[in-house]
Amino acid sequence: MALLQIAEPGQSPVPHQVKQAVGIDLGTTNSLVATVRGGRAAVLPDRHGAVMLPSVVNYSAPDAAVVGLEAQAMAADHPGDTLVSVKRFMGRGRNDACADAQRAHYHLAEGDQGMVRFVTSAGEISPVQASAEILHTLHERAVATMNSDIDGAVITVPAYFDEAQRQATKDAATLAGLPVLRLLNEPTAAAVAYGLDSAEEGVIAVYDLGGGTFDISILRLHRGVFEVLATGGDTALGGDDFDAAIADWVVQESGSPSLTPGQYRQLQTMVRAAKECLSTASGVAINMAEILPGSAAITLSRETFESLIQPLVKCTLRACRRCLRDAQLDAGIDNIVMVGGSTRIPLVRKAVADFFGRAPLTDIDPDQVVAIGAAIQADILVGNRPEGDLLLLDVIPLSLGLETMGGLVEKIVPRNTTIPVSRAQEFTTFKDGQTALAVHILQGERELVADSRSLARFELRGIPPMVAGAARILVTFQVDADGLLNVSAREEITGAQSSVTVKPSFGLSDDEIAGMLQASFSHAGEDKLARQLAEQRLAARQLVEGLEAALAADGDTLLDADECAALRAQKTELQTLMVSDDVDAIRKVTERLGRESEAFAARRMDKSIRQALAGVSLDALDEEVKE
Amino acid sequence: MSTPDFKQNYFQLFNLPVQFALDQAQLGVRYRQLQGELHPDRYANASDHEQRVAVQYSALVNAAYATLRKPLARALYLLELTGMGQEEVSSQPIDGGFLIEQMELREKLESMGALVDPDPVLDHLVTEISGDIKMHQDEFAAAYAADSLPSAAAACVKIQYLEKLLREAEQIESDLMDKM
Repeated sequence: MALLQIAEPGQSPVPHQVKQAVGIDLGTTNSLVATVRGGRAAVLPDRHGAVMLPSVVNYSAPDAAVVGLEAQAMAADHPGDTLVSVKRFMGRGRNDACADAQRAHYHLAEGDQGMVRFVTSAGEISPVQASAEILHTLHERAVATMNSDIDGAVITVPAYFDEAQRQATKDAATLAGLPVLRLLNEPTAAAVAYGLDSAEEGVIAVYDLGGGTFDISILRLHRGVFEVLATGGDTALGGDDFDAAIADWVVQESGSPSLTPGQYRQLQTMVRAAKECLSTASGVAINMAEILPGSAAITLSRETFESLIQPLVKCTLRACRRCLRDAQLDAGIDNIVMVGGSTRIPLVRKAVADFFGRAPLTDIDPDQVVAIGAAIQADILVGNRPEGDLLLLDVIPLSLGLETMGGLVEKIVPRNTTIPVSRAQEFTTFKDGQTALAVHILQGERELVADSRSLARFELRGIPPMVAGAARILVTFQVDADGLLNVSAREEITGAQSSVTVKPSFGLSDDEIAGMLQASFSHAGEDKLARQLAEQRLAARQLVEGLEAALAADGDTLLDADECAALRAQKTELQTLMVSDDVDAIRKVTERLGRESEAFAARRMDKSIRQALAGVSLDALDEEVKE
Repeated sequence: MSTPDFKQNYFQLFNLPVQFALDQAQLGVRYRQLQGELHPDRYANASDHEQRVAVQYSALVNAAYATLRKPLARALYLLELTGMGQEEVSSQPIDGGFLIEQMELREKLESMGALVDPDPVLDHLVTEISGDIKMHQDEFAAAYAADSLPSAAAACVKIQYLEKLLREAEQIESDLMDKM
């Protein structure tokens, strides 16, 4: 009699069971969640049928944040407690964000250390916490609609987001308890949404004008491989700026009355509606009397609106031009994909069509296209699709470098380098007997440290005293597929070594995140230890399963008998340990086995390289080349 | 951290002959093939360690592709394989005629702002510089094939000069367009 197999709770009984994956577009104005079901990607509505969640969080009550439409409704009465467009503040320092905060009438916490914090009735709130609330709401929505836990999520970020902004987004997901598979650039996600539906081949430009950010990316699609050629944009330019331009104009037209923060918020909502109206109408009345009783209504014509936003649209075209140059194309653009609500504006569509010399694609709702692309990528990463289906090769948006003598930046990894990337550069000491070296990591295109974004600092100590210029210090930058940076420094003669996973100067420290996690909604009442144990067991299981498959496939050919036996013995040890409750022991053995199996993994990849090249006959190659 | 123990050079990695002439289309096909096998996205469900190895391999393939794809980087890499480092390359003596031509081209570029209609002049200049770059690439290919490494290195230095000039010309072009 065959024995029935019973899987442990939470463990999939069959390896190819469909996993639940979502794509999340964490937007400046609205956020969405999408998933692939029955081979089709679709956005998930809330229980009232709305797919867009306004990215608004209200903190009027001390311990219950309100998210979405409800929060938006509270904005006029509680302007300081209602956080809108928090994405604009992600990963930014106080000095950097002051002007934006003033315009939005937020109170920022004192002190210029670390990321900005808003002072609200619920205490000081960082943009990461507010973003986590939005993610948490979308997570709950997904669990409720799909009736299942989420195995993995892809969260999108503007391509132009710097290191600090990316890290802040990842921190928000951690805080919301979301398992993140990958951070994906928004334009790439949009291209994926279009690319898979229509099986396009060729060069695609993605013009993404959202609420708060502008991105332009040029990609090449070739047999399921998306290669990002160049990306550019402006992290502080978007529909919000159009609204502000109209609001300023309205205030000026009504004789420049002074408005309270609440009235200003009301005006903002009103001009946003007027702007949306002008996508189809030729003129719209703005009823100022609703805000200031006795005021006359003001008519905004489409011509006036267009002249107000013209300079901002021009800024976007300038970025397009630079991006085209960076992409070094030998032929033109085959398709233009439009993303973001602001691309509904006729002037924007016309300007883009004129610039690229062809009409843009607008079949997929520009508000949903990013979430849909993210859902497709999540579905692939979680393992629901056959391998080789689709691959994204993305780039870093901004150059990474180091401070050198005289306050200058030495660029190590130039912008638009394909990730992952590993790049090393040698430095030396400048004083006799110097025993330590300060490493200051910067991001940006400017020559001077003062003009660049400071990401992190660390020190390499233990350099033996030598004459100036004799030490050889190798600094290695490694950027992973999420666009996150790891830097290590090594003195070549002594082997003194030091490294950091870059926690940006404007980011949150691990301690802060741990503290927030404990205090946060998503883990209230949840046993921290139980969670750690579950996570550690999962890591161990992944390693064991991967190693078993690898040993079965290549154990005999790539390992000698001793190596094979050693790995098997450790694997058995870990399998026995996995069922225990000893978190530390499981972590230790997982770590050791992982390290010791790295050489085997490397040999398997060498083999993959040989196979990848040998697998195609030269005829097939020639054929593909000819096409 | 273990690094890829790939002892072969970039050309071998892509299964291409060690020479300056290169079939870009084949390079692209093989690049996509290798990334299709090695990219971390293919290991999204694997253990941390395996993912780390995948990041390193994928980074190696990216570095190789970036080097081979661009003619100047490829030329310098060929010299590096013969044991000639960056410093030795840049210390090659350059003939006076070339330097005078450079100065003349630069003067033309700097006077661009004073012209009423700079576009056709600029276009012409960009074509001229691009032509010169192509010429020195051919010069490199011939010298390298004939094992005349100093001449090959001198050609590289000239291309470096010209590419810098080309970037400046492009910058001026985009500045002019922004003013429109």
